[in-house]
Amino acid sequence: MPVPGVPILEGLYPSTLDLYPFEAKEFNRIHPFYENLKQKRFTTTRCKKCGSAPFPPRVVCPKCNSEDLEWVDLPTEGKVLDITEEVAGVPLGFESPLIHARIDLGEGRKLISRVINCKEGQLKEGDTVRLAVFEIPPMIVEKKGGVMEEVERTFFAFEPIK
Amino acid sequence: MPERNVCIIGGGMSQWGVREASILDMAQEAAKECFDEVPALKKEDIDGLLFASSYCGRSAFQVNIAPVIAERLGIKPTSMCTRVDTLCAGGSAGIILATGLIKAGLADVVMVGGGEKLYTPQRWETYYSELASIDHDWDGAQGMGLPPPFFSMTAQEHMKHYGTTKEQLAAVSVKNRRNGSNNLKGHFHKEVTLEEVMSARPIVPPLSLFDCTPITDGCAAVLLTYEEKAKELTDRPLVYVRGAAQASLHSMSMNWPGEHLGDWAHLRAAAKRAYETARVGPDDIDVAETHDCFTISEIVEMEDLGFCKKGEGGPFVESGQNDFGGKIPVNTDGGLLSCGHPFGATGIRQAREMLYQLQGRAIRQVEGAEIGLTHNLSGLNVEHTMLIYGREP
Repeated sequence: MPVPGVPILEGLYPSTLDLYPFEAKEFNRIHPFYENLKQKRFTTTRCKKCGSAPFPPRVVCPKCNSEDLEWVDLPTEGKVLDITEEVAGVPLGFESPLIHARIDLGEGRKLISRVINCKEGQLKEGDTVRLAVFEIPPMIVEKKGGVMEEVERTFFAFEPIK
Repeated sequence: MPERNVCIIGGGMSQWGVREASILDMAQEAAKECFDEVPALKKEDIDGLLFASSYCGRSAFQVNIAPVIAERLGIKPTSMCTRVDTLCAGGSAGIILATGLIKAGLADVVMVGGGEKLYTPQRWETYYSELASIDHDWDGAQGMGLPPPFFSMTAQEHMKHYGTTKEQLAAVSVKNRRNGSNNLKGHFHKEVTLEEVMSARPIVPPLSLFDCTPITDGCAAVLLTYEEKAKELTDRPLVYVRGAAQASLHSMSMNWPGEHLGDWAHLRAAAKRAYETARVGPDDIDVAETHDCFTISEIVEMEDLGFCKKGEGGPFVESGQNDFGGKIPVNTDGGLLSCGHPFGATGIRQAREMLYQLQGRAIRQVEGAEIGLTHNLSGLNVEHTMLIYGREP
């Protein structure tokens, strides 16, 4: 279907409107995060020199500038600290109510994540939630000779443990 | 060259609201009001332009907008012509940068403009672009958007730790809508009652409609120059930029720098430095414009700017200590809740209000105001930006 107002975009990938990260290896050096995510692992980089393991993953240690980093697993379960249910102004691509929680993963990490597979009013402070990995639309990468490759992608949220 | 004292000599705003106008149209409206304030100024006197806009790259398909604006205004910068992007604090960042340029002698007369055309031809794109205004790959991809959910969590944690109530949140909205009711350049001119705020439709509970700043189109502009030139150009009392600071301690929400979301360590870091550079403390401030993007924000700001003790922001605003006749009148022109918030323009609107307050010609005047403070936070509460203005350098 042609794009209203901009018919020349028919069939093209408007990447500047892509809500998700450019996960393809051609477009970032932390693509192992997304490959691990496909295995339902939630990971980050740890510096082999100073032991620092910040999130999000890095390609250079922000503490000691070492490039000698390794991938390590983070907890995939945590306790809910706050819950929000957004009922107005929800961005395209998300349904109302859009549920978020601030989740204590331990190790001093408190993550704000979308909560899926969850009914309005279901989630309570102190509940345990776990990592939920889901497919998102593939991104398109133009290869040599104008060949368009679809790169499969996944992303994450958290979900209640029933 | 010795450091020069820097003054703000004129300010202007376009009409703010849901506008049938482009960002270029509104920039011209704002600059005209600014030029009209300083009739002795010739356009050739202006050698610098900083223009603060974050969304022009998305909503107007225009990056590097500064030369476009300069041409439309009929000014020909020879010292600096640059766009500033600090989202909600872009205007204040522009004023800080212009101050530094003028102080150092790298520029003489600088216009700092800013603004946004946020309403796109279809509404979805406005909300969708918000996903670009925070840490995109991590928080944006979680649908955090601009911050209603985040500030709902902030309100919840402040309530949990300090017993803050929804009535106290509502008091901020009632005051700011009252202050903005006769500021005709702002978005809203209708006062709201406590009952109306309390019973409004929910956005992200506990935040409801009147707890949130609206989406607003608009531009604003101010003129800055060094003290001697200011004396040549205007007969009005001089208003100096005394001090400033901008602090950024994290980006992704997971790396929040405070003990909890009601604890804004980065605001305290900015405040400490801003007060030091201005050689004043919170008790010296006569009037303040603080970033009331949500009602809870003004409550936390009263605490972390040092106007009241930590945790006492709720009772402070409920008892009117942030209103005329209280300890520190805040958001005297209506703030974001009443004027709206076209991101890059907001810090400039605040500067304009400080200019008027310190010159004794504000719509709602704080009698004898000599030192004023402005404050912005940006994005998912990741930066705090402050300026302190005074009648003395």
